[in-house]
Amino acid sequence: MAEDGRKHRILVVEDEDNIAIALDFLMTREGYAHDRVASGAEAMPRIRETHPDLVLLDVMLPEVSGYEICQSVRLDPALADVKILMMTARGSAIERQKGIALGADGFISKPFELKELRQEVRRLLQGEG
Amino acid sequence: MLHRLSLRLRIFLIFAALAFGALVALAAGLVFGFQRLGSPETLSAFVQVGVIAGLVILGLVTWVWYLFDVNVAKPIDILAGALRARAHSDVSGEMDTAIARYLGDLAPAATAAAASLAETRNALAEAVARETTRLADEKSRLEALLSDVPVGVLLCSGEHQIAFYNTPAAGLLGGDTAPGLDRYLFDYLREGPVRHAHRRLIEAGDADAASDILCSTRSGGQVLAARMRLIEGAGGPPGYVLTLRDVTADLTTRARRDAALSVALDRIRRPTANLMTLFGVLPEGEPVPARMETAMRQEVTGLSAAVNDLSRHHDEDRAEGLPLAPARALDLLDGMRARLEGLGLTVETAEAAPLLMRCNGFELIALIGHLGQRLAASGHPAPFHLRLDEAGADARVVLGWQGAALSLATLDGWLAEPLGEDLPDITGRSVLAAHATDLWPEGTNGRQSLVLPLRAAPLRIAPSTPPQRDAFLPSGLGARGPPILL
Repeated sequence: MAEDGRKHRILVVEDEDNIAIALDFLMTREGYAHDRVASGAEAMPRIRETHPDLVLLDVMLPEVSGYEICQSVRLDPALADVKILMMTARGSAIERQKGIALGADGFISKPFELKELRQEVRRLLQGEG
Repeated sequence: MLHRLSLRLRIFLIFAALAFGALVALAAGLVFGFQRLGSPETLSAFVQVGVIAGLVILGLVTWVWYLFDVNVAKPIDILAGALRARAHSDVSGEMDTAIARYLGDLAPAATAAAASLAETRNALAEAVARETTRLADEKSRLEALLSDVPVGVLLCSGEHQIAFYNTPAAGLLGGDTAPGLDRYLFDYLREGPVRHAHRRLIEAGDADAASDILCSTRSGGQVLAARMRLIEGAGGPPGYVLTLRDVTADLTTRARRDAALSVALDRIRRPTANLMTLFGVLPEGEPVPARMETAMRQEVTGLSAAVNDLSRHHDEDRAEGLPLAPARALDLLDGMRARLEGLGLTVETAEAAPLLMRCNGFELIALIGHLGQRLAASGHPAPFHLRLDEAGADARVVLGWQGAALSLATLDGWLAEPLGEDLPDITGRSVLAAHATDLWPEGTNGRQSLVLPLRAAPLRIAPSTPPQRDAFLPSGLGARGPPILL
């Protein structure tokens, strides 16, 4: 639960539908309020509109990359409290460094164990509490 | 017999004989005169006259001999000795002609002969020195040329003796014993392929022909790809040049990669096949039996772990196997600074960490120059701050400026551009891909930077080490006949 007693809000930015289905089940089971966008171009407007607690952000997105979205969020002081967990199918050390340098709070490589994702999400959300 | 006596002794004997002859003639004349006179009372007078005359004759002869000896015989001896010394040794300097002033033209003639001899000797010495210098220059050029050649190079005589080798060749041939000049090649290589190739090339009779062979070392069982070319020589079987390349490492690397790929495919194929089978037998429209669900979870977990492992290994192998040359961090930073200043940009540089970078310096300098130019043109003003930091096991090139942040979208656009009119096929992205790296903006509180991680290793500098000889040729003239020009 968030500080004000509401459910944590999570925005999933993921273009692959099958992963999005799995994440949808997981977020529901964990009791989070969640939403999904399937392209990078929709991500920033949705983030500004809904101000989620956490963004599950895929790196390889159509139109706008996850890195750009991460940088845009961090450059906006109004979104300073939004946590970002980046996901990528490539997951090299350099990509991890880049994501963290651009302001991601966590970085997870696909395929990941959902248990690992669950723990990472809890860690980031509980960091505010 | 008289020829064996010295000149001075012979002259002495001549004068002694003259004195003796004169005394005998005097005595004979006085005896004859006494007998003719027939006056016994005049005997003492005759004896007195004989003694006085004899002494005078002896004194005169001795005096003349002395003059002869001092002014003729002795100077001749001295001149002869001086000429002999100049002929047989390296004596130089003018001869003392004053001692031979009574010998007419002999002294000047001897002096002229000595001078001519010295002149000839000097000319010969200069010619030898010139030729030695020329050979030494050719040798240095050959050594410098071949020391940078990455393959092993050997020059061998027709009798398969090593006349030249460079450091890569020493490394390829050396096992327990380092190779050396004048040693037999077959102390290091198995002889069959080399001898056959040598014979084939001789029989072919084509000076431009080359023979590619596969040979092995005696010591470590390395397999070497070699190319042989004959060299023309003076007499005897022709020598040859052998270039060596160790294919053992290539074969090993290829085998390792093939093995890794096989393992990777196996680790992916098995769980994928198992999952296909499990899904294939799933009862449609019914809940998944617990055992099958467990089995599917296990296979997916295994497949996921395999992909993650393989991805990590691929990442490590790719970075390790980059075919990039080493460059000192300081040199790289200096090149980048020079490029930026050449574009009219002000740059401040910090001291670079003592690292050896594995990179294509030319491309990286072009990339930084391109980015500096774009930054300056888009409202991100100089002065730029350029540094190369050590970051764990690697390094980071950091190009900094004071001002607004740079958006990633803009940066990605710049990285998609060619780096210059003379580099139309090279973009920033291609350079980053070649180095298995990426580049991104960072910044806080108005201090912005572009960060470029690179592979690096600490630069170990051994103090006062003698310069490494990278090629070995026999020293000295005449070691191998005419020089070999490649």
